[in-house]
Amino acid sequence: MKNYDTLIKDLAPKKFGKRGVIWIIFLIAIIIAGIIAYIDQIIKGQVVTNMRDYALWGIYISNFVFFVATSFVGSVTVAILRLTNNTWRTPLVRIAEIISVAAIIMAGITIMIDMARPDRILNLFIHARLQSPITWDVIIIPTYIVISLLLLYFPLLPDFAILKKYFKEEKPSLSKRYGFLSLNWTGSKAQKILQEKSVKIIAIMIIPVGILLQTIDAWLFSTTYRVGWDSTNFAPYFISGAFVAGVGALVTVIYIVRKIKKLEYYITDSHFDKMGKLLVLACLIYLYFNINEYLIPAFTAKKGEAVHLDTLFTGHYATLFWLVTIGGLVVPIVVLLFKKGRKPLPMFFIGLIVVIGSWWKRYVIVTPTLLHPFLPIQGVPESWRHYFPSLHEWLITIATLAMALLIITLLVRYLPVIPIQRTADEQELLKTDKNTKS
Amino acid sequence: MEDKNNSRRKFLGKGLKLGLVTAIGGIGLTKLATNLNAKNNNHSEDKMELMTTDGTLIQVDSSEVIEMNHSQDHDKKHNVREGFPNRKFVMVVDLAKCKNALKCQSACNKHHYVTGDNAWVKVYKMQESKDTAPYWMPTTCQHCDKPACVTVCPVDATFKRKDGLVLIDNERCIGCRFCMAACPYSTRVFNWSEPKQGETSEITMEMDMEHHDHGASDPEHAGVPSIKGTVDKCDFCPHSIQNNELPHCVTACPNGVFYFGDKYEDTVTNGEETVRLSKLLTDKAGYRLLEGLGTEPSVYYLPPTDRLVDFEDGLKHYTEFQSVEKPE
Amino acid sequence: MRNQLKFRSIFLVILCVFLLVTGFQQLYAQNAKKNKVRLKAQYVKIMDGEIAINIKATSKIKKKNIKVANLEITVYNELEDEKIKLGTTTTNIKGESKFVIKNTNAIKADSTNTYTIKISFKGNDSYKKASKSISFKDAVIKAKLITKDSLNYISATLIDKSTDSVIVDEGLAVQVQRLFSPLIIGKAFNTTDKNGTILVPIEKGIPGVNGNLIIEVVLDDSDNYGTVKALVNAPIGTPIIDESTFNKRTMWSPRNKTPLFILIFTNILIIGIWGILLYLITNLFKISKSKI
Repeated sequence: MKNYDTLIKDLAPKKFGKRGVIWIIFLIAIIIAGIIAYIDQIIKGQVVTNMRDYALWGIYISNFVFFVATSFVGSVTVAILRLTNNTWRTPLVRIAEIISVAAIIMAGITIMIDMARPDRILNLFIHARLQSPITWDVIIIPTYIVISLLLLYFPLLPDFAILKKYFKEEKPSLSKRYGFLSLNWTGSKAQKILQEKSVKIIAIMIIPVGILLQTIDAWLFSTTYRVGWDSTNFAPYFISGAFVAGVGALVTVIYIVRKIKKLEYYITDSHFDKMGKLLVLACLIYLYFNINEYLIPAFTAKKGEAVHLDTLFTGHYATLFWLVTIGGLVVPIVVLLFKKGRKPLPMFFIGLIVVIGSWWKRYVIVTPTLLHPFLPIQGVPESWRHYFPSLHEWLITIATLAMALLIITLLVRYLPVIPIQRTADEQELLKTDKNTKS
Repeated sequence: MEDKNNSRRKFLGKGLKLGLVTAIGGIGLTKLATNLNAKNNNHSEDKMELMTTDGTLIQVDSSEVIEMNHSQDHDKKHNVREGFPNRKFVMVVDLAKCKNALKCQSACNKHHYVTGDNAWVKVYKMQESKDTAPYWMPTTCQHCDKPACVTVCPVDATFKRKDGLVLIDNERCIGCRFCMAACPYSTRVFNWSEPKQGETSEITMEMDMEHHDHGASDPEHAGVPSIKGTVDKCDFCPHSIQNNELPHCVTACPNGVFYFGDKYEDTVTNGEETVRLSKLLTDKAGYRLLEGLGTEPSVYYLPPTDRLVDFEDGLKHYTEFQSVEKPE
Repeated sequence: MRNQLKFRSIFLVILCVFLLVTGFQQLYAQNAKKNKVRLKAQYVKIMDGEIAINIKATSKIKKKNIKVANLEITVYNELEDEKIKLGTTTTNIKGESKFVIKNTNAIKADSTNTYTIKISFKGNDSYKKASKSISFKDAVIKAKLITKDSLNYISATLIDKSTDSVIVDEGLAVQVQRLFSPLIIGKAFNTTDKNGTILVPIEKGIPGVNGNLIIEVVLDDSDNYGTVKALVNAPIGTPIIDESTFNKRTMWSPRNKTPLFILIFTNILIIGIWGILLYLITNLFKISKSKI
């Protein structure tokens, strides 16, 4: 049991080491390259991508879907685990909230990159048609951004107050900033009541909003006639996919943060074990939906479906499909079913595989369908029958991923990654428990 | 003495003749020069790039381009989003007559200044299964009565009118391409880059739209001009209907494949025959494309029965990878 | 001496050739661009309405027939001894022009009761001059709608105005006015009987705005009488019913006609959720302000 002061010292934000600085510079370099590519796209038009009239959506959209899916981790870890009274979640929630915020903000930015006329973005608000699924997206994403920020902020209030005190002597200006953000938090009864009530409300609200977010994201595809998209299964399929992507991202980031900040005391092997179980659960549910989505249509093998499944199982996209399904889904399940697989290091690799698999899975969802429309592709250049992202698309997409990592890095740098006050409270409780017992 | 006089006379004589020759020669030369110069001058002054009737880009001096009154009546008697009153436009495509002549495609490309790689009217080489006969199927936008494209547009840029037409407001479109994803007929095309419509279009477009802002597009004259980052498609030529003329594909077809008309009047015409729509559809078993999707298209097809032409005749015009002729 | 002569003659020859070439070029320049124009004229008379001369100008350039725009055409009424100028008109971008004459009283016929209209173009830099004459006699169609035994008919009589006698054995077309091209009722040609009349039944069920049909009885492009058209208002059509969903609330309507379910449901969700979010944000302020 650590005492209070050591607790704060362990968890307070520390300056970047050499590695941190190099990492930041690396990310900024990638982002700058992406911005240059984007400016070129604005000038020349989206012809710089490899999207054309048939493959009309490409990795900008699949990247967007990936970000939306990853942002679900906030709802899962913070809210669902809270409502199911899983107390082991405490050291993980802050990082989960941080990932959520970064992902949903980047989702908002990424979708704007796909618009060919970003100068007319206000039209989405002035002339909005409520019948369009894109309008629902325009409503739900800012809503989720605000909720995620509030979910991050409210529990931070006591921690900011602690940090204000901690940095008062050595770093007075930093201390002042934390003080400003702490909103005069004194830990008074009135404040605590307000805060706890608020967090409770957010935690309950974020679940339906999070589910709504994933559902609307799925409806962008399933409200069309296209084979491979026109599926009644799509919304729950996307929700479970988000569960997988979110927890995968959580595991990966937690491993790295834990290692760099030396938080092994707080985030123990037991935490990884539990996260592993959660991830297996997520993957199993997702596997179930995958079977429904890909295996069952093969039963009736309607012409359109047959062509689509053929492309995925044995055709042009076969390698990718089996890699993301077996590698990104089945292998994690198998590994994580064993206790040894749920140790931190294997968990990190599995998390990484799950995240990468998630990203490419969404590529497999978006592109193949567009390349077999109802009427044959004729009268257009041969290159229009295929799609692979161009250099511009890769630069911009990787830049958005770098930006997400940058947001996460900066938040992890300046915020206590494990809730200090709550950890203190819980450990005190344990202490008093022990005391009363003995 | 005489020799001197003679030589003087000769000298004068020669001089005079030389002078005369020079004078006449000079006049002649200057005339020649001005003629040539006139030709050259025109080249160096206002030169414009125009597109000829067969789609080649040529240079012409602007003095030779005359201001014309294209359409008489620019006072729109109807609201652009509502359309011609008491009309419901339909098209009937007789597959028994289509030879893949592709005149419809070139006329449409020309009159809408389609310069991308995807034409708005495409003639598909269709064959449902290996035992059923192949045929040529021209498709335009189907102007569905339950348009999926309109339903998904987030900014009301594409709209369904009372007269049946589905049009696009290129000033509003944000380029999200959701309408293209939603359309099951793959009929919409996108301007991925600045459309290479050349100066031609600006000149003739100015004449076409005397009362419209130069450079602003008009949903009733799609493609004039096309705008980067927005979507385009067949518009059933409301600019022609305004003048009581048939859409360009209908008039261009040498085989009378396209019929066009007003469903409320129950009459369609291909320029030669004018028939009752209901009778045509009953007699020749008309149907619609992808009827099962419930889009309720406004384009009817007459099955390729009792064919007037051989399918194979159309193969010589078939360009699998091209639908817009590029200028040299 | 001889050399001088040779020299001079060569000089003169060169000079002559030079002059010839430039002169020739001038001439050639003038005639090179001029093409032949073919003018077509059609006389169309609408009963109790205007008379029009429909003019079309075409030219064959490089083996293609093109329409000639912007030609100034003068229209004359030609009699045996005089030529009365009726006016001028200019062809539009399609090479067409419609010259309207108010009625037959505005033009004079010759001694044989034949009207002759001549259209001429005096030529310009690009085109040679051209002209075309058409002659016609004045014919009149009297048409009306008859209902017999609850069946509708169009009865029409063709009369030669100059002799005031009926015209027998001439083909008349009966058609309904439609948007692009009229719809023919019955046979393509209905021949006038010995009384110069035709009787054509009109089938039921032809749609029209408010049930109104405008039926045309047409003598089309006859050699003697040109084109004569009589219009009959026949309120015997089936009224058009507007089938469009334009005024309804549908998934594809503009934003001002959003389906009520979507409108209400989404607004309840938005107001509900954002109401709570605003409450939470005010809680932040409350926390900040609370002192203890």
